[in-house]
Amino acid sequence: MVKVFIIAWKEFTATVFTKAFILGLLLPPFFMTVAMVALPLLMNKKPPTVFGHIAVIDQSGKVAPRIVEAFSPEKVRERREQREKETKEQIDKAIKSSGLSEKTTGDIKKQMEANPAANMANMIADTNLTVQVLPPETPVDEARQAILKATGREKAEDGNASRLALIVIPKNSVVSEEEEKGQPVFGSYQLLTAPRLDIEVQSDIRRQASRAIVDTRLADAGQNIDRMRALMAPPVAEEKAVTATGDSKINEAAKLLVPGAFMFLLWISTFSAGQYLLMSTIEEKSSRVMEVILSAVSPLHLMLGKIIGKGAVGLLILSLFSGAGVAALIFFAMADLVAWQNLILLLIYFVLAYVMVACLMASIGAAVNDINEAQSLMTPVMLILVVPMMLWMPILRNPNSMFAQVCSFVPLINPFVMVLRISGSEPVPMWQIPVSILVGLLTVVFMCWASAKIFRIGVLMYGKPPNFATLIKWVRMA
Amino acid sequence: MSNAIEIRGVRKTFGPKVAVESLDLDVPEGSLYGFIGPNGAGKSTTIRMIMSIIFPDQGDLRVLGKASAVESKDRIGYLPEERGVYKKMKVGAFLNYMARLKGIDSATADKRVKEWLVRTGLQETYRKKCEELSKGMQQKVQFITSVIHEPDLLILDEVFTGLDPVNRRLMRELIQEQNDRGATIIFSTHAMREAEELCDNIFMIHKGEKVIDSSLEDVWRKYDPKTMVVEPMNASDIGRGWGGLPGVKEVVEIDGVLDLRLRDGADVAELMKQAAMLAPVRRLELKRASLEDIFIDIVGGSGGESAEKLRQTLQAGKGAATELEEVTRG
Repeated sequence: MVKVFIIAWKEFTATVFTKAFILGLLLPPFFMTVAMVALPLLMNKKPPTVFGHIAVIDQSGKVAPRIVEAFSPEKVRERREQREKETKEQIDKAIKSSGLSEKTTGDIKKQMEANPAANMANMIADTNLTVQVLPPETPVDEARQAILKATGREKAEDGNASRLALIVIPKNSVVSEEEEKGQPVFGSYQLLTAPRLDIEVQSDIRRQASRAIVDTRLADAGQNIDRMRALMAPPVAEEKAVTATGDSKINEAAKLLVPGAFMFLLWISTFSAGQYLLMSTIEEKSSRVMEVILSAVSPLHLMLGKIIGKGAVGLLILSLFSGAGVAALIFFAMADLVAWQNLILLLIYFVLAYVMVACLMASIGAAVNDINEAQSLMTPVMLILVVPMMLWMPILRNPNSMFAQVCSFVPLINPFVMVLRISGSEPVPMWQIPVSILVGLLTVVFMCWASAKIFRIGVLMYGKPPNFATLIKWVRMA
Repeated sequence: MSNAIEIRGVRKTFGPKVAVESLDLDVPEGSLYGFIGPNGAGKSTTIRMIMSIIFPDQGDLRVLGKASAVESKDRIGYLPEERGVYKKMKVGAFLNYMARLKGIDSATADKRVKEWLVRTGLQETYRKKCEELSKGMQQKVQFITSVIHEPDLLILDEVFTGLDPVNRRLMRELIQEQNDRGATIIFSTHAMREAEELCDNIFMIHKGEKVIDSSLEDVWRKYDPKTMVVEPMNASDIGRGWGGLPGVKEVVEIDGVLDLRLRDGADVAELMKQAAMLAPVRRLELKRASLEDIFIDIVGGSGGESAEKLRQTLQAGKGAATELEEVTRG
């Protein structure tokens, strides 16, 4: 048995102490950190202040003063403050509906306030806009030439505020000239803008122009504008899911993300480790070092050592990634999304899933001469690889459906299915966890038995690559 | 003296093909045994059965007094025919790993690895990757893996393949050294000349059946010389009546050298005398039968196969599929 661990240690170090592995493992977290630190810093940087003027050709003669007022410094500041307040309220609402505890939400809020990146209002460019009202009979073609001159720049070269936009308000957009079914019909208005105008500024101009027109119509109809606006404000829906344990406000996104993350962790660690095992077995085969090793250890011990060694690699990947995940959850004070029992179950299902895949990989690696020949035997592995991805959504939607329950006991895929179900929103019937583990164990025992036979014959076999029928023959023969 | 290996009535088949048939063999401790025979004769199968890599269908096999080599793996050194190295591993690390797998503790392992690298002229390669080594150097590294743990039994399958003459000599010395240390050595080869130079005993196998198993001395004694080589001083003497000399069956001329094939029981001493009198000669030599000749003689005599075909089989290079593959693949 000592030899098994010598082999396992060699297999572990041969994979882990390589530049490729270290880079492959460290780079994603590195980029994530860079993204988390650098992005807010970049986003927090305000866009440059927008200088310029908006030209208005008001053919109705009633709207222009309202637009001028809308872009007065006081009104602009008022709108900005309003915007900031709304953003904060939206974030508060999102946190509340996530279904987290009071303490957790408080922590998140504190962190958001400490983090200036969370202040979405910072993303809006400061403006220094004036409104220039042109005579109503000014030809539009002539007025738009000034916009062309301002192309691409927010400040004209001569120092004058350049023309960033031109609003043309036809009379029929304010005063109805026809009726349909007894109701007034209004025409449209034109908004011509410089091509590189800040998108936020552009939509602000659009909103203010539209609002000025609507306000004018309301005033013409003798209505109280503020009152009408209050009446028209859309009501807020308070959504709650009804469950047996009381109304739940669990966030849909979190419901889908946690099981997904669990399965992804299981998937990535299982298959990376399996892939390493396949490659190292094929290498021993193709470099003919196999029988030299077999002069010192039995095939079974070699296979065992290799599976344990690469399993340790998989476990390292699993614990690094899930460790990073848990650390991130703790950092964002959302650790109560993951139950610690599930982490232990994740470990158990990892061992089951990995040994199954490892047995397949070891058999394939031992049977073929090089990686190209392995491709043709990879089909069953590909199936195990793809099926969990296909099952993801249906099982998440309904973790206790008959389909999900049956899949929990199908050999080879059941570890993946169970990981999805246990981390999902609905509790899995208690008996199903031990039974699924038992099914997994039986599968593992069978796979080990069969692959040990294939391995023992395959490792010394060179020449024509075997097909599946041959592999089955080997299992029966030995 | 007890036997390092005892094989009794062993039979091994792969599907319909019989690889080894009712084989009996005793390899005494401390002997240097050559397994010879053409490719596909059953040498590697026998060796793999001795190593418990494959198992006989019938019969008994005892290695170093145990029923299976698995129980005494650490006392056996084995250099398989299909061999290689971990390409990306450093030479020192690879040898250390192999030594550890053979049950040597890590401190002793490294000391021995360094000693062996010096001994084989590879001291510079300790920190090099195996793939940077030439084929011959890799071969020496592989040899070191089989002797690093000072085994009592050393089995070398086709050990000379791919070595240049200088390294061949080194390898012979190293094998001899192991034998002097007291190790029992079995080496297989299809090049019978290597066996002639090195072994005290030979074991010849053909189509899975034993054809010779005795000491080399006995072989020479048993198989009388069959050919006398005559090289006349003058080319004009080639045509003289060599064929009329007593005991000569047939005369074959190759580039001015005559091979006189002798009848069974020919009086060699008398023939020598008469040949020297017939014409002045540059060379007159009784050619000892080579193992190859003996092999062809035995096999050809019993099986009725043509000598030429057998010679071709013997000289056929490596690369032919081993018997294990042919059958289990199909």
